[in-house]
Amino acid sequence: MNNRKPRLLWQIFGAGFFTFLLVFPILAQDPNPDSPTPILLSEPDSTRALVSSAENLSAVKGRAFASNSKAVLFVTNLDLMEDEGANAFRVNVEGANGRQYRFPVLDIQPVKNQEGIYALTIRLKDELGFWEQPLLKGDFLVSVVWRGLASNRVHLTFGKVGKGGFVKDNVGAVPTPLPKKSTREFEPDAVGYLYSGDRIRFLEQATFGPTSELDQRIRRIGLRTWLAEQFEAPYPTNPYPNLPLMPTNIDRNVCNSICIRDFYTMYPLQNWFYQEAFYGDAQLRHRVAWALSELWVVSGEDTQQSSWMIDYHQDLSKNAFGNYRNLMYDMTLNPAMGNYLDMVRSTKNSPNENFAREVLQLFSVGLFMLNQDGTLQLDANGNPIPTYSQNTVNNFTQIFTGWTLCEVTGATCPNRTAGAPNYKDPMILNQNNHDVTAKTLLNYPNAVNPTIAANQNGLTELNQALDNIFYHPNVAPFVSRYLIQQMVTSDPTPAYVGRIAAVFNNNGSGVRGDLKAVVRAILLDPEARGNVKTDPNYGKLREPVQLATNVLRQFDVQSATGGAQSDGYVNQIISPMGQNTFNSPTVFNYYSPDYVIPGTAVNAPEFGILTTGTTIARANFMNTIVFSRVNVSSFAPTGTSINLSEMQALSAADATGNRLVDALNTKLMHGAMSAQMKSTILTAVQAVASTNTLLRTQTAIYLTASSSQYQVQR
Amino acid sequence: MTQNRREFIKKSGCALGIAALATQFEHFGLMSAMAQKVDAQDELNAPGDYRALVCIFMQGGNDGNNTIIPNHSDANLSNYSAYSAARNTQGLAVAQSALLPITVPKMNNLTYGLNPNLGALTPSGATIVNNGIHELWAQNRMAVVTNAGTLVAPMTRAQYQSGSIKRPFQLFSHSDQVSQYQSGRSDAFSFTGWGGRISDRRTLPDNPGGLIPMITSINGAQLFTAGQTTLPLAIANAGTSLSSVLNPQGFNSSAESQTRLSAFNQLRSQDLNSNYIKEASHITDQAIAANSALATFQEVTVVFPNTSIGSQLKQVARLIKKRGDLSINRQIFYVQVGSFDTHNNQINGQGGLLTQFSQAVRAFYDEMVMQGVSNNVTTFTLSDFSRTFNPAGSGASVGSDHAWANHLFVIGGAVNGGNFYGTNTSNGTPYPTLVMNGPDDADSGSNARGRWIPTTSVEQYAATLAAWYGLSAADMPVVFPNIANFPTTNLGFMQP
Repeated sequence: MNNRKPRLLWQIFGAGFFTFLLVFPILAQDPNPDSPTPILLSEPDSTRALVSSAENLSAVKGRAFASNSKAVLFVTNLDLMEDEGANAFRVNVEGANGRQYRFPVLDIQPVKNQEGIYALTIRLKDELGFWEQPLLKGDFLVSVVWRGLASNRVHLTFGKVGKGGFVKDNVGAVPTPLPKKSTREFEPDAVGYLYSGDRIRFLEQATFGPTSELDQRIRRIGLRTWLAEQFEAPYPTNPYPNLPLMPTNIDRNVCNSICIRDFYTMYPLQNWFYQEAFYGDAQLRHRVAWALSELWVVSGEDTQQSSWMIDYHQDLSKNAFGNYRNLMYDMTLNPAMGNYLDMVRSTKNSPNENFAREVLQLFSVGLFMLNQDGTLQLDANGNPIPTYSQNTVNNFTQIFTGWTLCEVTGATCPNRTAGAPNYKDPMILNQNNHDVTAKTLLNYPNAVNPTIAANQNGLTELNQALDNIFYHPNVAPFVSRYLIQQMVTSDPTPAYVGRIAAVFNNNGSGVRGDLKAVVRAILLDPEARGNVKTDPNYGKLREPVQLATNVLRQFDVQSATGGAQSDGYVNQIISPMGQNTFNSPTVFNYYSPDYVIPGTAVNAPEFGILTTGTTIARANFMNTIVFSRVNVSSFAPTGTSINLSEMQALSAADATGNRLVDALNTKLMHGAMSAQMKSTILTAVQAVASTNTLLRTQTAIYLTASSSQYQVQR
Repeated sequence: MTQNRREFIKKSGCALGIAALATQFEHFGLMSAMAQKVDAQDELNAPGDYRALVCIFMQGGNDGNNTIIPNHSDANLSNYSAYSAARNTQGLAVAQSALLPITVPKMNNLTYGLNPNLGALTPSGATIVNNGIHELWAQNRMAVVTNAGTLVAPMTRAQYQSGSIKRPFQLFSHSDQVSQYQSGRSDAFSFTGWGGRISDRRTLPDNPGGLIPMITSINGAQLFTAGQTTLPLAIANAGTSLSSVLNPQGFNSSAESQTRLSAFNQLRSQDLNSNYIKEASHITDQAIAANSALATFQEVTVVFPNTSIGSQLKQVARLIKKRGDLSINRQIFYVQVGSFDTHNNQINGQGGLLTQFSQAVRAFYDEMVMQGVSNNVTTFTLSDFSRTFNPAGSGASVGSDHAWANHLFVIGGAVNGGNFYGTNTSNGTPYPTLVMNGPDDADSGSNARGRWIPTTSVEQYAATLAAWYGLSAADMPVVFPNIANFPTTNLGFMQP
């Protein structure tokens, strides 16, 4: 097994550059992003799998496998990294009844004397648990997925062929017998980053949407250099709105409806957020801060003033490329969080469990013990192992007692405002209200601070307790998996999670929790990169916020009539899709990272807010921005629209409509639009008179952007 | 004559019928509930009656201790003084004079009290529009199932403490307890909810020609509504009319617009090798199919409060009024009111939410009477959990933390109302002993907070409702896999 990147560079640049590369990794050239597509070997004359029993590695035709026994499939056209093993693979199985199963992959080993061929040991048992275990009878279609790429499908037949049903092949399926030798060769790197599909995919993962300008820039400088720039880019590009702290209760004699909108709702913060998403240069930081805001949730439903939420958002963005431990500290003492999860009113005599419970369950370690690749640890009976008990929550509750809003006059609370609660400075300790009894916290191998001595200062204890959480082994896989889901794919392989968790545990310089290194690793991972992904469970539904900003940015979002910038007033057309910006319904965010699509076993967080109602709202959002605009109003000083001129020019230049649809394929579908889809859209385009270039353009964009094919970021 | 926009959508949909149904047939390789109906609708005759279950989820964990309160001084049971002693100092006790009295035959005709927000209140704008649900108790239209909650099997306090009986997983955690109330099992995670599983079993026999799914959520995707073959309809509340709630905008009668609509529909039959694309298209197919069925509707006659829960139940009432058009005989609805997660500011917070709940449920009940189906529609509540008897904080901001057993409401003409139901606690009645570190507290020691151990399970409660709905005894263990762990499968609060 080779680590491809160094080998490539070695070949091309020689040893001298390789040394240089280790010292200045950000200057590295970007390799070809495409992993090879795995091939499952079949018998020579059919699409029946080449399969053997695990006990005897010689390929046999015998098909008498007992349920739950092991079998070995043979796979080729791989290019494994060091340490890339069984958990990088998944074996998807479809029965004759159309039911989908997944068989666990136990092991992968190179086959002796057969270069490039690997033996993949699987257990003949479904691991999804949606359907009852399949009867191993008749015909199953099997494919292996690796790094988001699906292999060919081969037949795995049990018993006599034809008994128990026969599954139809994919159209065009052909036998894939043992090849004479592996034919894959590495292509030398070109100057710049010429992989146009992967450029768009990368920008969808790392920003609020690709633009032509960014696409060209990455074509010129590559991913790694762009990332290095982003890590240094000043933020925010547009300053946060400068809003005063207001009294909790609205004085309606002084504050009219405009005043309420401007100070007592999320309106100013939302508009700033969208302007920054549309036009800001520090796209990656803004994107990561947004992802963190869906983890460390504080909702405007409780925290009614934008001015109360700004410090919270600043803490998120400040730490987006910082250390997770610092983020934990800043969030714990953030006044908006303190109010939202009640820490601000939790005292030794009247403790409140809310923050203590959620900091464990939602923000750090989660409910169950995890392996480093994010899979559940199981006890001897096959049950998950709770990470903590109610007693642990009680002890953390005591840890977090005694903190209040910063309302002391003088230098301690520089932002204190008479008559209004101080939601700008971090909370401060009132040691008299702090519970100083001894405490028992999380226990784990080599636990940091599993017990806290009595009679200590509350801040000392808080830091000890945050260290106790931070060094828990769950934090790395928990946070890594969450960020992968937010940026790349809903159901990453354990191998992908494991690679990122390893970076979380150690950024290469011995530092734990370095989010910059984590974000970089997520975006450069081979499971993230590539021009096209074919794994049926790869990708993610775009959440409404991302869906909206991606489409708007792709078409040069502008003021209602053009010639100026949008004012960012778009939440009112995004909210009906199920995501009211900064107004999450609960601390559990708009959707759960563990959400499973009803009627399936497919893990897909964003489907938590996709219903019959919101799916139509998504189409109607596209209708609004493609055929109409957000007009200027008292809420929208400049309004919002998209600029269709570039696409209209293509429409005018080609009466067949092909150039228009091809351009949309490149922009929106990173070149992966199927021939069928293109033909359907072309038919609708051609139904419009070729002279009506505007309607042709609108038709093509509406159909592409409202399609499920685009709604899923793949 | 101008053709209306919806007619186009209908016609274009028909022209593309096969293509548009592709994801339905593809969906888990089975015919889905919607697709089944296409085969079956002409053959089967619908049963003559109509029944509906309306689930009101009190999101966040409604504090049952401040919802149903002892209003007596009986020395042998927890009385008002016991309640007040634990909650008054911190400011969480409801004054006895404010309680709305209910007489409870099951409690030797002792008087209990409903939270004052559940009764008649001073009319206020568009939010207080009726006398609330308190009156329904005396009319025997409302029952309360007491001390109910998530259980794997019945357990005593000793068994809870020793761990000799398996506990529900992750007690006191919102997400897990919500999921157990909705899935109807507490021993393991489930991909499906009990509403969805009832629908899996009953759609074909009960709604053979139904134009919409058996289940409708007015509050988004919910585990409760998910079955193996059932996908729910999920629509916005009555703020949007039924006729536009699923209507894709921007299409007109021109030829190019119709071609675009055809393409819009056709795209959903393509690229289904991705599970995400397939499922997104499947949901949109359901929406487009239902959209045709919802083109017209009649407005309800009763005034509903202008609140979220009011608008949700109003939308339910519109659909029920349309049941004949929709060829539907059994329906399950999901609505939600919240947030009851009152770690602080509970007196005002819970009070306001109970007002919203009570006003909306009463309007809905009155509307069902107007529609002549009050005996055919049963409304019931679920919630994450109850809250600690011991308050969190004190003074104006007082609240309470996550606990366990709760009191649940069942309302409708088919309810054996005016009584408590459920298995007796250690005190010989179905109402728990309100003593921290007492016989019903899961907590122990001097810091015990009062988290009552349930004596009646969610499954027993749900199975009683399901039996009334028409789920057969044979299907009971299929829908409720742990029901055999409990001695009674019917708690008796429903008429046959």
